[in-house]
Amino acid sequence: MTTAPHRAGADTAFLAALFVFLGLYVTLIVAMLVADASFTSPADLWEAIRSDEIQSAAVLSLVTATLSAILSVWFAVPIGYVMTRFSFRGRALLDAVLDIPIVLPPMVIGLSLLILFSTPIGRAIESVVPITYQKPSIVLAQFAVACAFAVRTMIVTFQQIDVRHEHVALTVGCSRGQAFRHVVLPQVRRGMLSAFLLAWARALGEFGPILVFSGAMRMRTEVLPTTVFLELSVGRIDAAVAVSLLMVAAALLVLWIGRSFGLGRIGQ
Amino acid sequence: MRSIALGSVLLAALLSWWILRVDVDPATGTGHTLTVHCAAGIKGPVTKAAKEYEQQFGNRVELTFGGSGALLSALTVRNHGDIYIAGDDSYVSDAKQRGLVAEILALASMRPVIAVRSGNPKNITSYRDLLRLDVRTGLGNPEAAAVGKIAKRVATDLGFWDQLRDKVTVMKPTVNDLGNDLQIGTIDAAVIWDATVRQYEDLEIVEDPQLSRQARNVTLGVLRCATQPRPALHFARYLAAHDRGLLVFSAEGFTPIDGDEWADVPQLELMSGAMLRPAIDSTVTAFEQREGVRVNRVYNGCGILVSQMKTGSIPDAYFSCDQTFLDQVQDRFQDGVTVTANDIVMLLRKGNPKNIAKLRDLLRPGVRVGLGHPEKSALGALTTGLLSRTDHLDNLKASGNVVVESATGDLLVNQITAGSLDVVLVYRSNTAHVGERCEVAPIQEATSQARQPFAIAKDSAHPHLMRRLLDTLRGTDSRRRFEELGFHWRDGERPK
Repeated sequence: MTTAPHRAGADTAFLAALFVFLGLYVTLIVAMLVADASFTSPADLWEAIRSDEIQSAAVLSLVTATLSAILSVWFAVPIGYVMTRFSFRGRALLDAVLDIPIVLPPMVIGLSLLILFSTPIGRAIESVVPITYQKPSIVLAQFAVACAFAVRTMIVTFQQIDVRHEHVALTVGCSRGQAFRHVVLPQVRRGMLSAFLLAWARALGEFGPILVFSGAMRMRTEVLPTTVFLELSVGRIDAAVAVSLLMVAAALLVLWIGRSFGLGRIGQ
Repeated sequence: MRSIALGSVLLAALLSWWILRVDVDPATGTGHTLTVHCAAGIKGPVTKAAKEYEQQFGNRVELTFGGSGALLSALTVRNHGDIYIAGDDSYVSDAKQRGLVAEILALASMRPVIAVRSGNPKNITSYRDLLRLDVRTGLGNPEAAAVGKIAKRVATDLGFWDQLRDKVTVMKPTVNDLGNDLQIGTIDAAVIWDATVRQYEDLEIVEDPQLSRQARNVTLGVLRCATQPRPALHFARYLAAHDRGLLVFSAEGFTPIDGDEWADVPQLELMSGAMLRPAIDSTVTAFEQREGVRVNRVYNGCGILVSQMKTGSIPDAYFSCDQTFLDQVQDRFQDGVTVTANDIVMLLRKGNPKNIAKLRDLLRPGVRVGLGHPEKSALGALTTGLLSRTDHLDNLKASGNVVVESATGDLLVNQITAGSLDVVLVYRSNTAHVGERCEVAPIQEATSQARQPFAIAKDSAHPHLMRRLLDTLRGTDSRRRFEELGFHWRDGERPK
């Protein structure tokens, strides 16, 4: 397709307008980071990196966010498939229910989990695996929210896939399971990676439900957002900002690598 | 695709193993592990003091932080842990009312002040200055932050709350939110705690007497659900000791309360009227076990105890049989708290062979009477007063019927049970265990009641610990024991 000469001026204005919006938003993000950086110093950053508590929180953050993201994708793929391929009574209501963790204030998710695990059923589960105020509670709190984002991503992904491929597979003798495994899944790999990265980023930044359901126990249930909260609670803005910048760096690295390598390779 | 699925399963399994593995083995030493829910604003001193404590005693202290109110909400839903430390006492009182907290220990006091940036660039000198148009003001939410509630009350009393509320730049739920805003420079002044201001290098304090008067305490509560109250109280005592934890609070800019002296196992002395022994002994033993302390009890006639105290042997607390005896040594004690009262009754031999019904029957020839010693015991002093008021004292002395005067009511009970006396005048509580061996008759002519106050020595090294003993003695279980023995519950009544 070629651009007609008389349209070139209008297109330039249109593209310029697009880039103005992009530029403004990116400027806002970068300006926030620069402002953060002005409130800390390399010495603060180095001190943060060397601190045992922060190292422990960083490891715990990475481990729990990764596990939550994997679990989210495991759940999001079948849920997304069901929600796009099957019609049944109450599907619209179910669709709304799946969005509840996105809509609810994070603290409410934490409180709801806390109450849930104080019921007889919750206590029965805890008698086997201790959850409340323990590390597994972090994964559960992150999963409760992150999975909703993964589900939304997978629903959009499945909606974009042409259902005729599946039908062809069924007509040549595949079972539904075989068609799903051999025809559908290979087509949604990019969507799965997107869902994973979105869930991972969401889980890494999760704070409200963790504070309520897991507590803020140093070296035990302290994740990086908790560290930021604790430092702010005692007026150490420089340390809070240093930890925040570390989080930004870690998230940027993972998301950049994930998107540029993962999505690129899968797309090929 | 299969490799991705397999990889995700393996990675998930590995990460799950790591998470569960670390949780299974949280303790490092052989000591106890305590869970402490601590207000985030006092993280500094509590973390440092806890570290010192861990090094000294080998117990492990796991600190979990949050806002005082948020922690309380979580504890209400899920009762868990050993200790709750709140930024101000109202939260711990609330927790006590909800039945979550057993013992309460104050740690440090905080005053509401006006915080401004260093150098006070807006030249703020009083609370009223926050109304100025050129001052951007921050306050705590009155519903969420205790200091916000105080700021509202003081401004209401001074008549400018409505103006201030309309003019305020921002309200935030915690004092540190306001301190952070001040440091970043989005507001010029805020009403927060003095201890909070000292956490920031670039802030300084402007005092307003109307605000400063509203001091509050950083307070610790030992949770009822604590599975190991003894080590929990051990750590609580360490934090609240003026020569241990409170030194750290002082170094961190807090104003510590006048705490107890530190002792690993405090040795306390309680002097108590003999008549109180059956009512309090098991309560004191339970207190010793829960707190991990030793309470050496000295039971005797109150006259004898008072003599000992006058010679310089001052216990940590004195539980007197009657206020009149505490009055004699009051200069060495804080004001007493009346806990119970006890009637004086006549105890007669089984079947009442001498047919004694009234006090004047004691004057009849051949009646063998036993009384408390008027100087050695409260019982004797009160009995003498009773006989004097009813005009029987002189006649009884002249009759020669009084064959014994004992230092304690228990000795009189033993003698009448053995059959060597016909009637004794003792406390109703002395008669609790005589069963059917004797008969109790109320005194009809007049009533006489002894009131038992508990007082803590002014120079005790452990006044707060003794206050907790008093609280235990005023508790429900203790009350039941007192009432079973015939005492009247008079908790909190002012001494007459």
